[in-house]
Amino acid sequence: MRSLPAIGFFALAALPLPWLTSSGTVLNLATMVLLFATLGQAWNLLGGMAGQFSFGHAAFFGTGAYATAIAQIRFGLDAWSGFALAILAAVAMGALVGFASFRFRLRGSYFALVTLAFAEVARILANSLEITGAGVGLLLPLAPGLDRLQFADKAGYYWFALVLCTGGLVLASLVRESRLGARLAAVRENEEAARALGVDAFAVKMQAILLSAGLAGAVGAFYTQLFLYLDPHIAFGPQVSVEALLGPIVGGTASLWGPVLGAAVLQLLGEASRALTGGATGANLVAYGIVLVLIVRFFPDGIIGMGRARAADARGVTG
Amino acid sequence: MNRPAIFSRSSLSRRHLLAGTAFGAAALAAPAILRAQPAPVKIGLLHPVTGFLAFSGQQCREGALLAIEAINAAGGIKSLGGAKLEPVLGDAQSKPEVGAAEVEKMNEAGVAAIVGAYASAISLATTQSAARYGIPHIVDVGVSDQIVQRGLTNTFRFCPGYGVIAKIAIDNLVALNDAAGKPARTVAIVHEESLFGTGTAQLLQKELPARGFEVVEVAKHANPTRDFTNVVLKLKALAPDIVIPANYYNEYVLLARTMRQQGVRPKAIYSVLGGAASSFKFVKEFPDDAAYIMDCNHWYDPRKAEALELRRKAEAKGLYYTYEVFLAHEAVRLLADALERAGSASRERIVEALATSSWDGHFMPYGPTRFVNGQNEGARPVNTQVLNGTIEVIFPAEFASARPVFPMPRA
Repeated sequence: MRSLPAIGFFALAALPLPWLTSSGTVLNLATMVLLFATLGQAWNLLGGMAGQFSFGHAAFFGTGAYATAIAQIRFGLDAWSGFALAILAAVAMGALVGFASFRFRLRGSYFALVTLAFAEVARILANSLEITGAGVGLLLPLAPGLDRLQFADKAGYYWFALVLCTGGLVLASLVRESRLGARLAAVRENEEAARALGVDAFAVKMQAILLSAGLAGAVGAFYTQLFLYLDPHIAFGPQVSVEALLGPIVGGTASLWGPVLGAAVLQLLGEASRALTGGATGANLVAYGIVLVLIVRFFPDGIIGMGRARAADARGVTG
Repeated sequence: MNRPAIFSRSSLSRRHLLAGTAFGAAALAAPAILRAQPAPVKIGLLHPVTGFLAFSGQQCREGALLAIEAINAAGGIKSLGGAKLEPVLGDAQSKPEVGAAEVEKMNEAGVAAIVGAYASAISLATTQSAARYGIPHIVDVGVSDQIVQRGLTNTFRFCPGYGVIAKIAIDNLVALNDAAGKPARTVAIVHEESLFGTGTAQLLQKELPARGFEVVEVAKHANPTRDFTNVVLKLKALAPDIVIPANYYNEYVLLARTMRQQGVRPKAIYSVLGGAASSFKFVKEFPDDAAYIMDCNHWYDPRKAEALELRRKAEAKGLYYTYEVFLAHEAVRLLADALERAGSASRERIVEALATSSWDGHFMPYGPTRFVNGQNEGARPVNTQVLNGTIEVIFPAEFASARPVFPMPRA
């Protein structure tokens, strides 16, 4: 657990934010950073560590989001059981997607397309089924209370997001430093070679997707608790899948902190581009896009990768 | 050596003294100026001006800005000493979570109230966020009835929800059909897949059979949809007497055009909240496709001069006079009336004033406002039909400008 002190420091440093600022904007921004950092961390368990690029993490996010909403609205469960159920449902979805693709050795762009397809199928199902409220969506009753996992103020949601993000970091560091992490790296770098060394690539990838899906499902359930309204587009829309992978790619897929850094940079960039472009409609999105292109073009290993390259240069190490 | 320096310094300080005196005098005079010019009241205008709802969101914003301009030009809020309204613009980027984040910013900018957020899904998020801070939130367009059924005391909706709209649409359809000797019996519904289209379609599907119509097809489509050929071919095979579209602008136009290209000519195209059916943009750009289309939608009272005046102003700005423009415009005026009566920019006082509002200065066919659980009870839609290249009101009878043409002539 080499990363544990750093994670502990991060959690402790982030803890007092609600006492330091009364600004709802700052707290909201910080909550969204933590939410997308956790979603990115979930993606990175599969995409970064195992090298299986998913374009459909919305399938897991949305399954978690809908699972807790359905549990509460249709079956009258409390929000905590709903939350646990959301994780289980997302893991089940992960098992389905993983089995359907890894069993048949789909890799690279094929795997990406299959995950994308799963998310779209889930969206269309959510859009048609009675239980998900079809296109009307599901609205959780607004009733603040700890048993309903609804907080009266922003700080409650912030701390909950911090717990999730910290949990995601601990999970990722545990995986990273375990034998599973080593096997995942082996599969990522060269699956044939890993197989030749006796690594069961299918089992290893399945474990990665189950963990990844469970964490993404938890983020989805958190989203439900935060906004209390879901429709198929919000839960399973392609923009969720893109947000999940953008953070780690910008931050750096190779590192534990890449998804967190990526989420922070993207959210701040979104805010800054809005503040800078002022009232011109849509100009902020153009600025956002340009910076994104520049980051991907010049720092293909993400922002953390850039830092490492610099450090390596300084030591006179090349490659 | 020192004297000139001291001399020069004292000379400078004398100049400073003079300047300081002048500044002091100005500062002393300032409170008088401040009294003459009371602090502006900040109003959050929160709309999806980018993303897939951008056109409608921008229309809303323009309508609201026109209202603020007019109110300020007429001397601002009189009970606040002529305080001007100052818009604080927000962009929800067509996403609920971004809308909620914008509410946070508006709260910190010190807005007295928020007008927005066009789409139902976004309005659900923004009203809830605004409720945390007790910010009065007037929903300008969002038609989902859930918006006003959550017990949020800060939330007010001036326009009707789809429950009322679907009911009146069906009543008028039955009346229309009866008057023509009941030529129509079968109905096909084509709706967009989000909250408003699906909710409306569900209500229609439930109510129409009880009123003597058979629903032969319910076709749902995504936003955006770029091709309606399959939907229209199915309509062609089923040949329903009436086609009921409930969708946003682009899809509506495409559907109507595809129907015409494929020669699908039902007895009526009767839309409920049809995104384009009562839009001057559609009528102007595609007059042949729009001809005879009927709609049950938000519409102004054409007898009111202010409504026509606003149309002139909007068109002078190069805008189409769509429902977004006049609904957002009137939502801002409703707020201004509440501010006027509250005599204060405090959020609680504005909420109180809105809750007890009986404003009849608007140009919508609603009668004086009366809010029950945040919904304006008098709000109702109007039926329109595109006739001779313009949009005529066909129901209600008290201000109909034309008689309905039904069934529509075979082209």
